Amino acid sequence: MSELSVNHLLGIKYISEADIHLIFETADHFKEVINRPIKKVPSLRDITIANLFFENSTRTRLSFELAEKRLSADVINFSAASSSVKKGETLIDTVNNILSMKVDMVVMRHPNPGAGVFLSKHINASIVNAGDGAHEHPTQALLDCYSIRERLKDVAGKKVVIVGDILHSRVALSNIFALQKLGAEVKVCGPKTLIPKYIERIGVSYEKNLRSALEWCDVANMLRVQNERMDISYFPSTREYTQQYGVNKALLDSLGKEIVVMHPGPINRGVEITSDVADSKQAIILEQVQNGVAIRMAVLYLLASKIQHNEN
Amino acid sequence: MSLLLLKSATIVDAASKHHLKKRDILIENGVIRKIGASIKNEKAKTVTLENLHVSQGWFDSSVSFGEPGLEERETISNGLRTAAHSGFTAVAVNPNTNPVNDSKAGVQFLMAKGEGNPVNLYPVGALTVRSEGVDLAELYDMHSEGAIAFGDYKHPVENANLLKIALQYAQNFGGLVQSMPMEPSVARKGVVNEHVNSTLLGLKGIPSLAEELQITRDLYLLEYTGGKLHIPTVSTRAGVKLVREAKKKGLDVTCSVSVSNLVLTDDRLEDFDTNYKLLPPLRTESDRKALLKGLKDGTIDGVTSDHNPIDIENKKTEFDHAMFGSIGLESCFGALNSEIGTEASVAALVALKDRFGIDSNLIEEGSTAELTLFNPDHDYVFSEENILSASKNSAFLGVRMKGKAYGIYSNKKLVLNS
Repeated sequence: MSELSVNHLLGIKYISEADIHLIFETADHFKEVINRPIKKVPSLRDITIANLFFENSTRTRLSFELAEKRLSADVINFSAASSSVKKGETLIDTVNNILSMKVDMVVMRHPNPGAGVFLSKHINASIVNAGDGAHEHPTQALLDCYSIRERLKDVAGKKVVIVGDILHSRVALSNIFALQKLGAEVKVCGPKTLIPKYIERIGVSYEKNLRSALEWCDVANMLRVQNERMDISYFPSTREYTQQYGVNKALLDSLGKEIVVMHPGPINRGVEITSDVADSKQAIILEQVQNGVAIRMAVLYLLASKIQHNEN
Repeated sequence: MSLLLLKSATIVDAASKHHLKKRDILIENGVIRKIGASIKNEKAKTVTLENLHVSQGWFDSSVSFGEPGLEERETISNGLRTAAHSGFTAVAVNPNTNPVNDSKAGVQFLMAKGEGNPVNLYPVGALTVRSEGVDLAELYDMHSEGAIAFGDYKHPVENANLLKIALQYAQNFGGLVQSMPMEPSVARKGVVNEHVNSTLLGLKGIPSLAEELQITRDLYLLEYTGGKLHIPTVSTRAGVKLVREAKKKGLDVTCSVSVSNLVLTDDRLEDFDTNYKLLPPLRTESDRKALLKGLKDGTIDGVTSDHNPIDIENKKTEFDHAMFGSIGLESCFGALNSEIGTEASVAALVALKDRFGIDSNLIEEGSTAELTLFNPDHDYVFSEENILSASKNSAFLGVRMKGKAYGIYSNKKLVLNS
């Protein structure tokens, strides 16, 4: 198979295991490319991509933009806080206005779950979901799994714990779907206030104790405490959160085995993980960032080739 | 003098001696003059329809028509036309208009708009001023003008003492108080049922706990105050259980269920289709089964379409931004009949009349003719062409159903689908 089964990347939920492997294999190639002296390839020379960010983002936007530029795509950027869009123009109108300038692909981040799915039904362009509310963030999950594969050779059979705010996290949900598709076992860990009540019904177990979770796992994915996403208080203070769910070097060293520590960034140093953990060789946080570009190049390349294929 | 003859109509009216019999019905000046195996009358206008069934006129205890103020969603005249074509001879119109119907003037406006229509329009007055949940509205004044019940539509009464006072106050004139079964601090900003699907979709959930807590509170209040409470649109297994126990205790409580909750589940949400964004939300199969059982054993008193037209601008948008609600009049009978059968459907669509103080007219000689004409075997897929409402937001689009209204005879007028 050399083609994705989908025309959009709206979520991991909507793609197959074979799609994921194809993206990984394509990313392997692009990872080699971006480590060359000349990091650019002409693959998307005649493709125009709009990055539409209806919610703040720095690293995801930069990563996509870099991926697009390394593929020689033409890139336009649009940023708007959701509030200013809400004032007047609808999402469909905003996007159609941009598409009327002959744009082929849309990379969109949006605060509402399902925004990408909604858009895909009403516009004529290939959509990459760069995060939609608490729904999915598929490229993050792909790069996370890709990084696990790189470090541990394979994802299948591995034990992964996702720690932190699962309730508000698109990263958690996409990771769960991707890890399950690739044959990993997934646990979530965090204060019960931040765990969806029915999480076990989607094949994920819950562990309330961080040490037990870490003793069980091969990989710990430490999510950021997203205070900006919480409209009420789910725990009394960051201090208390850290006491129960923060990973420090002493805890890591006491496990009697070497686990891999991941973080989707940006890190709150001293909250989810301490600096000495973040900077340790067990942490693969910067590898994740680097792999992010390769994964996004792969996704854009594979989706664009479907556009070209459809047009021919 | 007008004469109308309905030929070969199967009468579905458990209280009538003609129940389930095929009869000719002669109507003279709005009164059933004669019911017989074969009536001949050359002066009468004769109606012959395939597989014609006739029942008492159906009543919907919760419809919204947007007027005044929200005419882009629906007008009263087209709303009543939709009701008539869907088989309803009586509708209770919610106060969720702009301004909110919280005064005598609002009730008078609606009554005047409904005057002379084949469908009887009964206003539901707001329980609190502007439905804000702070001060009691002038319930007696609205009652005197024709409001048949009081409630703030989908706004729960947050203040327990206010509901207590409302239940006490309305007793003086036998007023029926409605309370939306949803505890707002638990429901919060939820948009769908909290369960597996909300987890998979990353959508904020409304736990069934919110309904359970509010019904529990309201029943305790009712026990304390006495009075008449109607709980509109129960949606959970726990909610049904609470009402069942309260009825056993002898409390004067009734409840309804929305046909959407009776037929559909939150599995429909998969695609973020905003037509399934409803309040109460679509729940699980387990809840649905409990609702069916509750309806069957009489815990749930009747079925409403919970008809709520929403303009496309408020539906064709991101799921979080879309408004709650679905139209329901047009699909109500078909969806219900497919699920629970004809006799039970008819019973569920007339049962709440008494509770809301509306006369029931038996299908007997000498009775006022207020009839629904329908074909319970009409098999079709509900699609946009079946929608008569100004807004097209139906949760039943694409659903295969059996049963369709031909129309009504009511207020001396015959309304038939073309």
